[in-house]
Amino acid sequence: MSHQPCAVVGVGQTHHKTRRWDVSLGGLVREAASRALEDAQMDWSDIDAVVLGKAPDLFEGVMKPELYLTDALGAHGKPMFRVHTAGSVGATTGIVAAHHVETGRHKRVLAVAYQKQSEGNAQFALGSGRGGSLGAGGAFAPYMRSYIARSGSPLDIGPMVAVKDRLNALKNPYAHLKLADISLEKVKESQMMWEPVRYLESCPSSDGACAVVLTDEEGGKAAAADGRPPAWILGTAVRSEPSTFPGRDPVTPQGAFDCADDLYKQAGITNPREQLDCAELYVPFSWYEPMWLEAHRIAEKGAGWKMVESGETALDGDFPVNMSGGVLSSNPIGASGLLRLAEAALQVRGMAGEHQIDGAKVALGQAYGAAAQYFSMWVVANSLDPFGR
Amino acid sequence: MASSDDIAIIGWAVSPMERRTAKTEQQMLFEVVSDAVDHAGITRADVDFTVAGSCDYVAGQAFSFVQNIDAVGAWPPKRDSHVEMDGAWALYETWIRLLAGDIDVALATGSGRSSTADPALIYPMEMDPFYLAPLGADALSFSALQARALLDAGKVTERQMAEIALRSRTSAKDNPHTQVSGEFDLDEALATDYVRAPLRKHDLPPITDGAACVVIARADKAREICQNPVWIKGFAHYSELHNPGMRDLLTSPSTTLAAKAAGLDEAPVDFAELQVAFSHEEVILREALGLEDDTPVNRSGGPLAANPVMASGLVRIAESARQIREGQGRRGVAHATSGPCLQQNLVCVLEGDER
Amino acid sequence: MTAPAAGTVEMTIRFPYKRSLGPVIGAFMTGLASQQILGIRNGAEVMCPPLEWDPRTGKELQHDDLVEVGPAGTVVSWTWVPKPSAQHPLDRPFALALIKLDGADTSLTHAVDAGSLDAMSTGMRVAPRWKAERQGHITDIEAFVPGEEPQGLDDVLPDEPVAMMPYNAEIPYTLPIAVNTLRNAAALREHRLIGLRCPVCSRTYAGDRAFCPIDTTALTAEHEVELPQTGTLTNYTIITPVQYPGQTETEPFARCMILVDDSDLVLGYQPVIDLPVDQVRVGVRVQLVWGDTDIDGWQPTGDPDVDDPDLVNRIY
Repeated sequence: MSHQPCAVVGVGQTHHKTRRWDVSLGGLVREAASRALEDAQMDWSDIDAVVLGKAPDLFEGVMKPELYLTDALGAHGKPMFRVHTAGSVGATTGIVAAHHVETGRHKRVLAVAYQKQSEGNAQFALGSGRGGSLGAGGAFAPYMRSYIARSGSPLDIGPMVAVKDRLNALKNPYAHLKLADISLEKVKESQMMWEPVRYLESCPSSDGACAVVLTDEEGGKAAAADGRPPAWILGTAVRSEPSTFPGRDPVTPQGAFDCADDLYKQAGITNPREQLDCAELYVPFSWYEPMWLEAHRIAEKGAGWKMVESGETALDGDFPVNMSGGVLSSNPIGASGLLRLAEAALQVRGMAGEHQIDGAKVALGQAYGAAAQYFSMWVVANSLDPFGR
Repeated sequence: MASSDDIAIIGWAVSPMERRTAKTEQQMLFEVVSDAVDHAGITRADVDFTVAGSCDYVAGQAFSFVQNIDAVGAWPPKRDSHVEMDGAWALYETWIRLLAGDIDVALATGSGRSSTADPALIYPMEMDPFYLAPLGADALSFSALQARALLDAGKVTERQMAEIALRSRTSAKDNPHTQVSGEFDLDEALATDYVRAPLRKHDLPPITDGAACVVIARADKAREICQNPVWIKGFAHYSELHNPGMRDLLTSPSTTLAAKAAGLDEAPVDFAELQVAFSHEEVILREALGLEDDTPVNRSGGPLAANPVMASGLVRIAESARQIREGQGRRGVAHATSGPCLQQNLVCVLEGDER
Repeated sequence: MTAPAAGTVEMTIRFPYKRSLGPVIGAFMTGLASQQILGIRNGAEVMCPPLEWDPRTGKELQHDDLVEVGPAGTVVSWTWVPKPSAQHPLDRPFALALIKLDGADTSLTHAVDAGSLDAMSTGMRVAPRWKAERQGHITDIEAFVPGEEPQGLDDVLPDEPVAMMPYNAEIPYTLPIAVNTLRNAAALREHRLIGLRCPVCSRTYAGDRAFCPIDTTALTAEHEVELPQTGTLTNYTIITPVQYPGQTETEPFARCMILVDDSDLVLGYQPVIDLPVDQVRVGVRVQLVWGDTDIDGWQPTGDPDVDDPDLVNRIY
């Protein structure tokens, strides 16, 4: 059995907020899942299998939540699967779901990822309740310092990314942060959190969920014929690497290159900068945008920041990044990876509304996790063969 | 006749099963992975994809699986994933991935140290957070409720439950990878107090620290590496709604669905390894799988002899592969379960080569 | 409570969670606070406890299609809990049971305070005994008791609808400490800084590391090397503390990467001493400062900074 085509025919997400206290846990995931089903013109009964992903259960204090959420996600009498690969989990969820379709096991698979962080406390969960926690930003701040030093990047680049993503978020009805008065000055004046990263250069803590409906070639073509263009998956890749060994480079990790190379080969991409129209990259702290552009070979080494500075990665630029506002604007940790994949799919389906890139045909969605050591990525396109191979 | 779609188990390892290990989870995994790749006749470098099954709450730490990749071997960077489920589901993910046909060898691990905390305090956390967890309603209590329902319906007697436990633990004497084995007097056992009526001590699994690793390969590669591959003929899992108060506790429909999808009914099996943590569950599972009355179940002893939570299901698959390799049968079925009262069930049908 | 065995550490995961209930569970809990047990209509059936969805199909139910059930019901199954845990609703032996309340088609799980195992039977009738102080929680019913009549009835109603629920998870763990961690701790007590040198690639790892992840080789006592107690600060961050239960810091504090002399080992996120946060910089020469049993931090030696543009990349 080889690889069969897989199409994204439904995307749904919640309104991401600091606290979604208007819904129960089940209500949160169902909000995203029902929107995805509606988008796919399907019912719960049309789904053959469910893949659920989220980051540590300590965030909500519900262990193995796929058990409780089986019936909330219409999975009574169906396979239910739960992945957990730290921050990249949302993307891994989409990829594992895609494999279920690509290998012919199931025809219609629902992928759901979520986090209801407000029920606990993210800092607590990250540090397992111990004092003096680094917090997520503290762990990565040295990586960003290293990037700035080695690339010679001006210090404004991080704040520029922070502004760009929040301005993009104003065009995304689901985004958490709506900072209409965001500016470079505001970002540079905001509280220093994990030097060199300031408060306004950091992601929020959000409650939210994302869901995607995946189907096979027949289903994708039927949706297309029905005027509901699918996003075709051209490739998926995952990599993990150890966090700590002398000589490791966590700024442009080997795993990031290897994952991208594997992905591009599957998708027939030899020049990512030219062949990709846009990207949703997992940027929870501003400096990660230029870092991932380099680590995924979209920019030359040391030149990622130039793409930011020149406006190439802005919504109206030549290589838009994080059109949705990205993780900097909404971060339900377990869902954020799936949101990247989903937003990439929306772009090539022409369904990204106000944050749509005109003519986007091929898009990259990427997520990372833990000490920049887990990578999950996919490339989607509006056809199965956009490069005419 | 194996086709290129077929995937085989080419090696495995099961750790010592202990009441309380002095090892870290990472250490346990390092050893089972080393042993499993040796057993398969390969090295870690030959493995294209790894998936771990483990649980943060069992480990007592958020992101506990992250340090475990050191033990699995993720350099150069590896295709790798993790499920917060028993290793049997980790193996399922590796199997799905190999079906894509572009990579050849994968391994799955399952690990858990149940000794580190009181299960009565941990397992309520996997129940309905509003209606069940706040009552401290845990897996043992729900199993007992299911046992009571079976007794009331006349589907089992307490004596039969004890017989299942006795048979399992007696059989475990021949298995070095168990914790509790040996015969006991049925009448004496039936005279002891209930631990959680109607369950007595002998009806319950031990608390076990342990790990397992299973290595699989695609057909051509399996034949190249392994003289005695154990073919995965069918692999499927299904879930049911969560709340036991809303389900019929006398049956396990998701087990039946999984068995059908795995093609269990295509031919009789020579044995079964079932994740029976509580003795009465064997009655339900036998029926749900449609096993013949004389099909041997849990010759390894099963979870009643060693229950390394998060690896128990994967161990059933490893034990099944071992029995086939050792000529104790040609076709067998392994089962894994998760959640209260057999909420989620996985079935894996294995076959050795024709002789 | 006996002391943990040598080579183990005790820790407790403890956090006060608060859950939002949403429209249906919220109505149910508000009902409990009002001494009312509600179910939700699901087609021709009534589900209690109520979910927002049909558990068999996933279909959304009508959230306000609620109906009172009970108060009495029939025990469908039961078990006896002779030694209640800290999480159980009663601190004396009790039954946990599936109870089909009159008018409901599914069973509610709850405690039955029957007094003894012999008083329990499938098919017996039970009714709720209400707590006087209710908060909109499943334990507003203290337990069910044998009989038809509810106990503890009063006129007290909640001030407002119940929307949230607390959940205080507390799990104590006893974790074995790895051999290398123990040996490293012994070295630290002796004020020795040790590393472990991989026999295959020669990288030096921290003394408590179990494996070289590059070669997947176990690191043992035979790989131990004595390390100098001086090094160079290669990278750092200054953290502004956030409040959360368990937080100990109040002022911005530095965490630094220290490249240990004569090795390739970088110790991550180390505290510094006698180095104000505004003077923390790449290249500072530092030496180890000991506490009683562990590294307190790293202190500037006063030697000139190391000037090497590659230093900042030595995060690991």
